[in-house]
Amino acid sequence: MVEPQRLIYMIKIKNLNISFQNEVIFKDFSLSLNKGEKLALTGESGRGKTTLLNVIAGFIPHFEGNVEVCGIQQDATTVREIRKKIAWLPQDTSLNSKTVEELLYTPFEFALNKDLKPGKEDVFSLFSKFNLTEDMLYKKVKEISGGQKQRIILLSCLLLKKPLLLVDEPTSALDENVKKIVTDYILSIKDLTVIASTHDEYWIKNSDKVIEL
Amino acid sequence: MDKVVDINYFELFAGYALMLIPVLILWYYKTGLVKDTIVSTIRMTIQLLLVGVYLEYIFKLNNAAINIVWVVIMSLIASYTIIRRTGLKFRLFFIPVLFSGIISIAVTDAYFLGYVIKLNNIFDARYFIPITGMLMGNTLRTIIIALDAYYIRIDEEENYYRWHLANGATHNEALHPFMRDALKKAFNPTIATTAVMGLISLPGMMTGQILGGSEPSVAVKYQIMLIITIFSSAIMNVVLTILFSNRIAFDAYDNLKKDIFRK
Repeated sequence: MVEPQRLIYMIKIKNLNISFQNEVIFKDFSLSLNKGEKLALTGESGRGKTTLLNVIAGFIPHFEGNVEVCGIQQDATTVREIRKKIAWLPQDTSLNSKTVEELLYTPFEFALNKDLKPGKEDVFSLFSKFNLTEDMLYKKVKEISGGQKQRIILLSCLLLKKPLLLVDEPTSALDENVKKIVTDYILSIKDLTVIASTHDEYWIKNSDKVIEL
Repeated sequence: MDKVVDINYFELFAGYALMLIPVLILWYYKTGLVKDTIVSTIRMTIQLLLVGVYLEYIFKLNNAAINIVWVVIMSLIASYTIIRRTGLKFRLFFIPVLFSGIISIAVTDAYFLGYVIKLNNIFDARYFIPITGMLMGNTLRTIIIALDAYYIRIDEEENYYRWHLANGATHNEALHPFMRDALKKAFNPTIATTAVMGLISLPGMMTGQILGGSEPSVAVKYQIMLIITIFSSAIMNVVLTILFSNRIAFDAYDNLKKDIFRK
């Protein structure tokens, strides 16, 4: 349990209103999330789970309300600063990389993350935790399964060591036993704040907060 | 060397009989391109005949200001054609396309005409107008392919683009793979054609010069320079067009604006 005096808001959303083509997605939606908390967003498709992740990452600029991420008020001048603190796993994992190595290391090619590029030892240590074999790193993306690809991208996100992890259906392509391993691992990282859009019962059950949209 | 054989208007008309082949093939396979083919052939004929008349006057006058105006008019038409052929909005892309075209042509023309062949007057109509025309004509296709490949792919692969941005990429870093692929798509055919030049194709300018009475060795040297100049001008034009248009195609949050495409 986090002591109240040490609370640091990672996310603070106040009176969010978003409509697309006259359809109201969010009406006066508010949310606050402390550092290290794990939030699961649930609900039927089209209710705004991915939209909320996109709002936090700055991909939906036209909204009413107030969005604060990692203590930074989101607007056009701060959105790039906010993105520096995020790691993001998209729902669609077709990300154009030819090899697994390229897929894993692409975010480390960016100037911001260059110094964070992990050595093989760190990578393989996480590989074993996520039930992946070392030889997989040298395979082509088309030779691995959707679940393996999802885990590789998740690993890449975790290796970035950002304070906020946004994940869209992070276990959708995983087998039951692997789902449990991955969920337990991610939800146990103490200082990492996680917001997941998910239908996965195990993930939802083990999150600190659940919001049904 | 013998004087070049002129084509009289009757022979020119007879030459059009060759167009029956593409028209019949396009009609047989119901491509819907017959009308466009006929219209474009008629347009080409009228335009070239008019150009023939204009150029005679322009060459006689050989006035730098008039020659520059002529090239600017060509640039305006080229920019219009480029945007019409892409799915992008005219009012947003016209200025970036026009300026990129003018800058890349100015740089390559100045280098080739001023430094390589050392003309006293780089605006000499006999060189400035045909060389610039060749540059523009050969650059059109590559820019159309590159612009389409770039913006359509960013739109279609928004997820991939956002994956970069949301994991720490700067705007330029997130656009890098799209620029790389646009260049590959636009310049692969040029590189392939360049590699077999002279083996399976005799390029237009060289053929024209030889028919016009030039020594083949001179024609070849001009052709080599022209291929290099076109390549250099085209790649500069593509990169500048994309860099300039990036400024208007994305919002302050680095999202691709959806209203850049024509409906």
